[in-house]
Amino acid sequence: MDIVDTLEALLFVTDSPVTLAQMAVPLELTEGQVEQALEILHERLDARGSLQLVQIAGGYQLCTKPHFADAIAAFLKPQRQKLSRSLMEVLAIVAYKQPITQAEVDQIRGVQSDYGVRSLLERRLIQEAGRKQTAGRPFLYTTTQQFLHQFNLNDLSMLPPLSTGLPLLQVEEGGLAS
Amino acid sequence: MALRTDVTALARRTHARKPHKVEEAVTALGVVAPPPIQVESPHFTGSLGTLFTCVKERKVNLLDVPLLPICEAYFLYLLEATLKDLDNAGAPLAALSYLLERKAWSLLPVAEPVPELELPTELIAPTNHEYETAITSLNIWQDERERMFFRPPDCGPDPYELPFEIGNVTINDLARAFEKLLTKATVEEIKPLNKARRSISEQMKIVLKALTKDFKPLDQLITLPFSREEAVYWFLSLLELIRLGQVNVRLKEEDVEFARAA
Repeated sequence: MDIVDTLEALLFVTDSPVTLAQMAVPLELTEGQVEQALEILHERLDARGSLQLVQIAGGYQLCTKPHFADAIAAFLKPQRQKLSRSLMEVLAIVAYKQPITQAEVDQIRGVQSDYGVRSLLERRLIQEAGRKQTAGRPFLYTTTQQFLHQFNLNDLSMLPPLSTGLPLLQVEEGGLAS
Repeated sequence: MALRTDVTALARRTHARKPHKVEEAVTALGVVAPPPIQVESPHFTGSLGTLFTCVKERKVNLLDVPLLPICEAYFLYLLEATLKDLDNAGAPLAALSYLLERKAWSLLPVAEPVPELELPTELIAPTNHEYETAITSLNIWQDERERMFFRPPDCGPDPYELPFEIGNVTINDLARAFEKLLTKATVEEIKPLNKARRSISEQMKIVLKALTKDFKPLDQLITLPFSREEAVYWFLSLLELIRLGQVNVRLKEEDVEFARAA
């Protein structure tokens, strides 16, 4: 039994990302062996066919290549709704500062974020993750696996570093330097 | 009515008619009744109690009803009535003072509404510059992700679920067959809720034994007499057997018939 083919079959039947450990157990292999086989599968799929192997939301999953996106979208007609600017802002703050309370998000944004938080909870992009032990014991929010999956991220370390903000003017002797 | 007072809001001042007889303002139930003053004006006609209610519910504009004649009528009522306690006099007075207060407020000048600006004020976007890169990246990744299609969760049938064929028989046909069966069922005596429950799998074995390769309607499969509970067990078992592909079903002249699958 070819390990690479077997892994391809396992990935074909799953509807969520599969970790190395999850694949290693039934095949009685080490995680390192599975990883090597997945690399071969990745190259093989890259070279031909319509599917690709991606590392997403902490696991591996098969998906279609972007080249076929238009045809699939025309066939499936998916109902996709892009996140608005304000929702994206709340999501970005939660992603970087998690776990974070809504009041802290409000403080960073300078505006109320109750709608944004509620909407992101409904979309299952963020989740309640306990309560902060302060006055009122407010909910703490973190991002979800759905967030990683929806934004094609393997883990939170893939998020870019935060920018330092507005360019600072350097004060030198004799005046401001541009 | 003990006292009738005509109040007109026009040039002619309204005068209260003298009461023929003043009755107690406390009803038999001990509730203080409104003073028996009848208000008649171009915009409102009715008792003082009704006026109070209508004003409270904003059904009458108090600016259209003059209160001076009502006050006069009320004081006349107080003078001519022989009220024994303050409750009888106080409750209507409270109603009257409410009306006066409401009218006083409504007579106050209303501030001019602030004219709206022709152009909406440009608000500063609640942007945090340090998150700009992150938001841009998330937008790009969202676009990229939209061009990738994954197997959706729970998209297909359960791999252990066999497809079953029921031809032109609809759910409504099955429901009608069940209703027909229930009409023939006898009413059983009420049993305690904690009695031992029958198992559908046991009932399915009974149903399979009763079924033959020849199609039969449901009421011919069950031996009479049968209770409503038995009818329910039979029907649920048949549905489960259809799902498992062990029973065939067909529609014959609006009657659903069942047979054991080969």
